[in-house]
Amino acid sequence: MSLRRFGIAAFALLAPLWNGGLALAEQRFPPPEFETGYKMPAITTPAPRGLAMEYVDVAVLVTALGVAAWLVHRKRSRRGLIVLSLFSLVYFGFYRKGCICPIGAPQNVAYGLFNPDYAIPVTALAFFLVPLLFSLFSGRTFCSGVCPHGALQDLVLIKPVKVPLWLEQGLSIVPYIFLGAGVLFAATGAGFVICRFDPFIPLFRMTGSFFILCLAGGFLLTSLFVGRPFCRFLCPYGALLRLGSLVSKWRVRITPDYCTQCRLCEQSCPFGAIREPLVATANPAALAPDRRRLGWLLLLLPVLIAVGAWGGSKLSVPASRLHPTVALAEKYLDPKKPAPTPGSATPETLALTRADENAEAILTTAAAVRRKFDVGGWWFGGWVGLVVGLRLVSLSTRTARADFEPDRGSCYACGRCYLACPNERVRVGLLSPAEAAGLNANRAASRVAASART
Amino acid sequence: MKPHRRRAGFSRRDFLRAGGAVLAGAAVTRTGQAADSRKPNPWAYDVSGFEKTDPKLVRYRELRRFKSPHRDARRLALGPDGRVWIAAGNYVCAIDPAGNSVAEIAFAVPARCVAVANDGAVIVGLRDHLEVFDAQGKRQAAWDSPGKRTWFSGLAATETAVFAADSGSRAVLHYDRSGKLVGRIGEKNKDRDIPGFVLPSPYLDVVLHPDGLLRVNNAGRHQVQAFTVSGDLEASWGKPTMAIDGFCGCCNPVALAVLPDGRCVTCEKGLPRVKVYSLHGDFDCVVAGVESFSENAQTSKGDQAGDGVKASLDAAADAKGHIYVLDTVTSEVRVMAPKATA
Amino acid sequence: MSTPAPNHPPVNRRQFFRDGARLAAMTGLGAFLGVAATRSRASQNTVWQIDPSKCVYCGQCATACVLKPSAVKCVQSYEICGYCDLCTGYFVPQPNSLDTGAENQVCPTAAIERKFIEDPYFEYNIDENRCIGCAKCVEGCTRFGNGSFYLQVRHDRCLNCNECSIARVCAGDAFHRVPASEPYVIKTTAHE
Repeated sequence: MSLRRFGIAAFALLAPLWNGGLALAEQRFPPPEFETGYKMPAITTPAPRGLAMEYVDVAVLVTALGVAAWLVHRKRSRRGLIVLSLFSLVYFGFYRKGCICPIGAPQNVAYGLFNPDYAIPVTALAFFLVPLLFSLFSGRTFCSGVCPHGALQDLVLIKPVKVPLWLEQGLSIVPYIFLGAGVLFAATGAGFVICRFDPFIPLFRMTGSFFILCLAGGFLLTSLFVGRPFCRFLCPYGALLRLGSLVSKWRVRITPDYCTQCRLCEQSCPFGAIREPLVATANPAALAPDRRRLGWLLLLLPVLIAVGAWGGSKLSVPASRLHPTVALAEKYLDPKKPAPTPGSATPETLALTRADENAEAILTTAAAVRRKFDVGGWWFGGWVGLVVGLRLVSLSTRTARADFEPDRGSCYACGRCYLACPNERVRVGLLSPAEAAGLNANRAASRVAASART
Repeated sequence: MKPHRRRAGFSRRDFLRAGGAVLAGAAVTRTGQAADSRKPNPWAYDVSGFEKTDPKLVRYRELRRFKSPHRDARRLALGPDGRVWIAAGNYVCAIDPAGNSVAEIAFAVPARCVAVANDGAVIVGLRDHLEVFDAQGKRQAAWDSPGKRTWFSGLAATETAVFAADSGSRAVLHYDRSGKLVGRIGEKNKDRDIPGFVLPSPYLDVVLHPDGLLRVNNAGRHQVQAFTVSGDLEASWGKPTMAIDGFCGCCNPVALAVLPDGRCVTCEKGLPRVKVYSLHGDFDCVVAGVESFSENAQTSKGDQAGDGVKASLDAAADAKGHIYVLDTVTSEVRVMAPKATA
Repeated sequence: MSTPAPNHPPVNRRQFFRDGARLAAMTGLGAFLGVAATRSRASQNTVWQIDPSKCVYCGQCATACVLKPSAVKCVQSYEICGYCDLCTGYFVPQPNSLDTGAENQVCPTAAIERKFIEDPYFEYNIDENRCIGCAKCVEGCTRFGNGSFYLQVRHDRCLNCNECSIARVCAGDAFHRVPASEPYVIKTTAHE
């Protein structure tokens, strides 16, 4: 790599000039002596937000997660979840301005793991781990009412449109790729891309660049019609929670007791998370092509990973340009770089002047970062291959289901389906058992009629 | 199915619709300017108009230049034998006319100024006291510190006296050669009509003029002042302006030298430039303009040393009328000679 | 018509697998916590701050901050200030007169107060509610004067973003995370 070679050459050339820069401890020249007894004001240094307040944030998070789990699994209250969402939106969103949030926390953790000079803040670690821990027991209760991003999208959802299944399945691997990218860029020190392209933080702060506000407006408008577009198709932390909730101890149950297969709940989920019953096919011969396909896909998986890793290694050079030092080094080595013009200095020319003065330091750093990206590119590409492969595998497997039930991974535990279930309506007293029975009879009759037509 | 219960009561949808619009609207109205690293900084402190010198005014050319043997050069002085003495870092070193380093004195603290008397004695100013050496660099004496606020920044010496510019106490101290303090010159004194030195930074300099008076730079007042040895203020000249005929910035000039014909050489920082003024303070010509000191002119060089004496210039003149200019950023000495008159 | 499903399905293979995976995940999270907590050499929370010696007055602090106006403000170290009458941080390069007229001031928002102390000294204060952190005065003060004006991230305003958006574009590479216990880089007379 030319950059690295240049770095070494530049270091060798400039090393003799690098003989100091260490100023001695010197006293500054004192201010004038005033005759009128004037007292110099002291410079004020307002303290940053106290550590104690960060523990308050963690406490609020844990409490809100507990309340959400209780509302989802025990109280089964959609209205309670709306109230909790509003609280989270106000507290984590508009009061705490969306920072720190678990969505960005994986980056802090990755950055801390690869840069020992950076102490992962206790809050970042807690915000990363606690919702994950909760997901192992109560599913995506964080998404349901604690996450300000989810709350905002959920509360503005007016007219849900069904996303075609192919699009849904295709887009749902994006969060994993975004997570991989976030970890890659954080670990290499290039920046926190998840935070940078977060579409809702600018709304919480009420400021931002034009681009990011357009992104925010776009996501907000989309969420009026598409349920939780960020959560489903972008949120990298949601990707982790999805994995956690796959093995959760408790799951969201649409019906409080038993499913009457009335299909009333089917349309209630704006996120397409409710799966209909799937009865195991009686004829094993019909399954054979599926099995064969699954076998091929499993064999394809290592190939996909290898191809991904190879592709990722090709991406490492352009990706490394996101690191400010690499970008500066490349610009510095570019023969067409703008010349410094006195009187109209731009930040770019000022940075180039700095590069000129510390060329060997900047080029060495840039070369080191690029080496990190060389390794990270392989890992990232392999991760993308794995994600694509596993998605294909999961599409080729079937899980037998007796009842209508939400998909463990896709369910945001928003509680919309509860009241769609006549048994639930009976439980909360909105419907008498007799009415419910009539409803079921009607539904069953229409289903018989429908099957008769086909 | 029963109609949806909530639709009858408060309309959450309308509320959200309005709320969303307000939210987006508020965010859009508060859109910031995107940071673009290629656009010129609209808030640059722009003095580029003053960084160009009219070539007609420059009446000196560079004969040669040599580097100080040590970094952080602060002041220079010319000896009677033609050697250049430079106070640089924790050293004072002598360079012969051929550019060879011929003597070197080391100190534990930075050497801030140096003067050479006609008998060859070398006086070195450290921050709080003076030391005397012979022409070979052997220590003869170290004088007591005159006070707690003392911050020596300029020196002039004859066979009988040493004048030490003490920026800290805002005075020029008059010593005899045995180290006895004879008088204090230039301190604020209403009765003698002396306004006092205004020194935001340690740049007080003192030179001996052939007319028998001292020339001292009162940087905060943008003036050069002439004092008698006994401390009377005889004359002041200089005006604050970024234009070429005055002294720029908040506190200039920072160094003085005197030509054999009595004209005064001034050095400025900020807009690093060396100029010549007539005996009465009329602008005469430019020795070297800002263009000659591109590194020195960078703002970022201004604040690197803790005591604020990084980006400045110093000058000395020899009997032939050559001006030795020291750039404190590059620690280089340039020898400037008058251009042949056309 | 429909058959009620059994309330409590017996423990089956899938359930067993799920329990095992959950246990493994919890162990993993615990181990992760251990690694993350012990890995770092640093032990403190950090905040963003500007190293004034690296600042090159590029103006990005005024535009790149997520806050409008920026959380970066000019501060004044009085013990370094020369209390000059002709303050190059207060006046434009060639002022018409040394008074508080707006056309004479270098600050685009007139955020610097000039106060007479005694002849010939003036005190200069920053009104942080007006300051936008553009560093114009900093450049003027540092180029000609003592550099007693310099930029600092003010932590009563700073949101301490995960990724400081000014740090990303800072032309001087002057933004760094500093320990939260020493959140400012203040210039004093005792200088190292």
